[in-house]
Amino acid sequence: MIARPRPDGRAKLEGSTVFGADLDVPGMLWAALVPSPVAHGRLRSVDLSPVRALKGVVAVGAADLDALLPGSKRDPDRPIFPTNTVVYRNQPVAAVAAPTRELAHEAARAVRVDVEPLPVVSDLEEVFPEWPGSNAESSAHVAAHVRAREGDIEAVFRAAETVVRETYRTSSVHQVALEPHACLAEVKDGTWRVRTSTQTPFGTREDVASLLGVPEESVVVEGTWVGGGFGGKGAALLEPFALLLAKASGRPVRLAHGYREEFLLGRTTLPAVIRMETAVTSGRIVGRRVRLLLDVGTSLPGRDFATGYSIGFLLGPYRTPAFEIEGYAVRTNKPPFGPHRAPLAPQCAFVLESHIDHVAREAGVDPLAFRAAHLWKEGDTTPMGQPVGPFGLSAVFEKARAVAARWRAEVGPDSGVGVAVGFWSTGTGAGGEVRLRLSPTDLTVIQGEREIGSGSVLAGVASVAARSTGLPRDRISVAYEDTSRAPFDSGVFGSRTTAVLGRAVEDATRSLFDELAKRIGGAGPVRLVVDSGEIAAEQGATRRPVRALSNESERAGGGIVASGRHYGKAGSIDERKVEAGTFYPYTDFTGAAHVAEVKVDRATGTVRVTRYAAFQDVGTVIDPATAYAQVEGGVVMGLGTALTEEALWSEDGRLLNASLLDYRIPTLGEIPPIEVTLVEGFPGAGPYGAKGLGEPPIIPVPAAIAVAVRDATGAHVTELPLSSERVARALKLL
Amino acid sequence: MTPPPLLLTVNGRPRPLEGVPASERLIDTIRWRLGLKGTKDGCRTGDCGACTVLVDGVSTLSCLTLTHEVEGSSLSTIEGMAEDPVGRAVQEAFDRAGALQCGYCTPGFVVALVGLLRERGRAASVDELLADLGGNLCRCTGYLSIARAVALLQKEAP
Repeated sequence: MIARPRPDGRAKLEGSTVFGADLDVPGMLWAALVPSPVAHGRLRSVDLSPVRALKGVVAVGAADLDALLPGSKRDPDRPIFPTNTVVYRNQPVAAVAAPTRELAHEAARAVRVDVEPLPVVSDLEEVFPEWPGSNAESSAHVAAHVRAREGDIEAVFRAAETVVRETYRTSSVHQVALEPHACLAEVKDGTWRVRTSTQTPFGTREDVASLLGVPEESVVVEGTWVGGGFGGKGAALLEPFALLLAKASGRPVRLAHGYREEFLLGRTTLPAVIRMETAVTSGRIVGRRVRLLLDVGTSLPGRDFATGYSIGFLLGPYRTPAFEIEGYAVRTNKPPFGPHRAPLAPQCAFVLESHIDHVAREAGVDPLAFRAAHLWKEGDTTPMGQPVGPFGLSAVFEKARAVAARWRAEVGPDSGVGVAVGFWSTGTGAGGEVRLRLSPTDLTVIQGEREIGSGSVLAGVASVAARSTGLPRDRISVAYEDTSRAPFDSGVFGSRTTAVLGRAVEDATRSLFDELAKRIGGAGPVRLVVDSGEIAAEQGATRRPVRALSNESERAGGGIVASGRHYGKAGSIDERKVEAGTFYPYTDFTGAAHVAEVKVDRATGTVRVTRYAAFQDVGTVIDPATAYAQVEGGVVMGLGTALTEEALWSEDGRLLNASLLDYRIPTLGEIPPIEVTLVEGFPGAGPYGAKGLGEPPIIPVPAAIAVAVRDATGAHVTELPLSSERVARALKLL
Repeated sequence: MTPPPLLLTVNGRPRPLEGVPASERLIDTIRWRLGLKGTKDGCRTGDCGACTVLVDGVSTLSCLTLTHEVEGSSLSTIEGMAEDPVGRAVQEAFDRAGALQCGYCTPGFVVALVGLLRERGRAASVDELLADLGGNLCRCTGYLSIARAVALLQKEAP
């Protein structure tokens, strides 16, 4: 399909877009972080004196913070530099800045870090080789514990006709945004200013203020263009270090990761071990027990979001009358867990769908009919007691099932077809605001998010503005402002941006139209039209150009301004089912059903995906080109999670494959034809019933491929990724 | 020892350079000495292709090239592509096919494709072009729109 050219397309194709990694100002210093040499140890000393002897080099460590930040109230749980113990390898223990990149790295190497090594825990199964006992909550290794139940699960399992118990393992995957983290900091006249490649300018402001212990009003974050996010650029990472060095040196300071550091220090999805038990009677699921052990690295207790959110993906989207789910977030000597496009949902869907497929086979029923009989529908209640609103999952599933039947009739030897489903929710619980500025010729949406590539800001928000104001898209632009000027927004994450900022645009449009109606002075609704190149407001038979409706100061300031906001609410769960911890509810329900056709090499176990179809419940399509693009990109990212991507950690907490050569993401030559179908008609929380679209398309991919591999060969692989080695093992070739 | 001066022709203009250390990579000369930031700094290990430039018309990874190796050469970067009819056609095809998202890999794809069209001729088949673009990584698009851009470009090739 030929798309409407993207507003950011030309500049990106000509190389003039300035990303965080491109920031460059006269007189700036280059910075480098001083890494901990071990993954766990008692920090005896960090000696910066050899570095301070180098000309033009500035160094900061824990001992300098009180002098650099007089009277600050820093978050004691999150020290910028460790003072007693280091808890993951390469954890920054000091930072240096120098006039050149080479000198900065040389200086970082010259710092004498004296650490007494302590035992390293790198594998969550080392912590809990068996399921944790009742005293586990007091363990220093537990960052969070959640438990919920419904019904007499022991009795249900005792009485069931078929009980299936399995254990799955999933891998650590990295976001691999091609642009590594990068920022440039300046401190002047009491203002901490940082330009940075971020998905959350306001979140980064809050984080920086809390880490440095300075007032939020004194911090200004300006987002640069972002060379890919995928969840990895959602919180402060390099900014506090760059700001401290800028303060210490009185110069602008650039701090950027190289790609190796991007792997080593990035915060991403870590491994999980998942126990699934399902009880079936007369072809119906009667009970489920889920046990999740999730590696959260050095995430702090109380700051784990993953366990209480992701565990829900191991129950649903299937009706399950009785259940017991329990999860532990387990601390290990790795960097803290961080979000990665639909955090843990592709892994959970892989586990749930592979398990459901296996359960159906064990119970002697058709796996697809078994799924169809259990899928949540509008009007159902989720196991956690949340009412299901408009939900297109059954609709997309039936379409996928029809395609699968057609493909299955055509498959050759060693080939197979798999169908899998997944669900997600639009993150409208996190709110945002916009301003509209209507000039005599154009409408500008002023807001505080940088386009990260998905199109959610420049295409999504602009399309909503066109639809809500009635103006053509070429009259509308979306402007970015930094955190000192822009209206607040929570960030580009959670498939929320077009939905929340779009609803805020609708709200602002209502204010704008009310104001125009007042100025025209008649009765009835207002609409905007383009008349001889100018924008005019029409009310009944009266048409007045915007130029005539605006006053002098508005004309000087660029137009008539109206504000809008949207602070949505997530749904609520039935808290009576919760026995421990925090479970997070969904806002709306969006479904995806995918079909994968694979061919498996019987000699090596290598899986090749030969064609693919994705059906996505979208509520309403807002911008077709970028909507299709999100699904294509999400599916291909999922191919990596399914087949090749696995960060490998050694026993001493070392990341073994910290390069794009050793950590393999999909390349052009291995992409199958992908058919994308967007299904409308099941409205969600966004404008005009739109549902979030950034994350859902990755969710069913590893599951669909695993189910297809089983269909092709009988190999039931219970670990991700489905590498040649794992498939070969399942085929008893190894 | 003072490194010898060197001369590069960059996007058609002579650029004499003084004091470039023998160890300096071409990517850093381009980005930090010449100030041409359109050439992207990705992996610096030759795995992603974001830093691709043309050296005497040949597609080259600037992160794995020392600046002194290309002394006397003619260099084309993404900033020079709009002045080249093939470069313009590639940009136009990517724009029309929506073959970009975050845009970080985009300059590398454009330059690499222009290099391939020079090497294989303007009438190269879509399949061979795509096979040769396999060294450029993209994390956003899933490559399908890039393949459509190449198809669009070649259908319109004279």
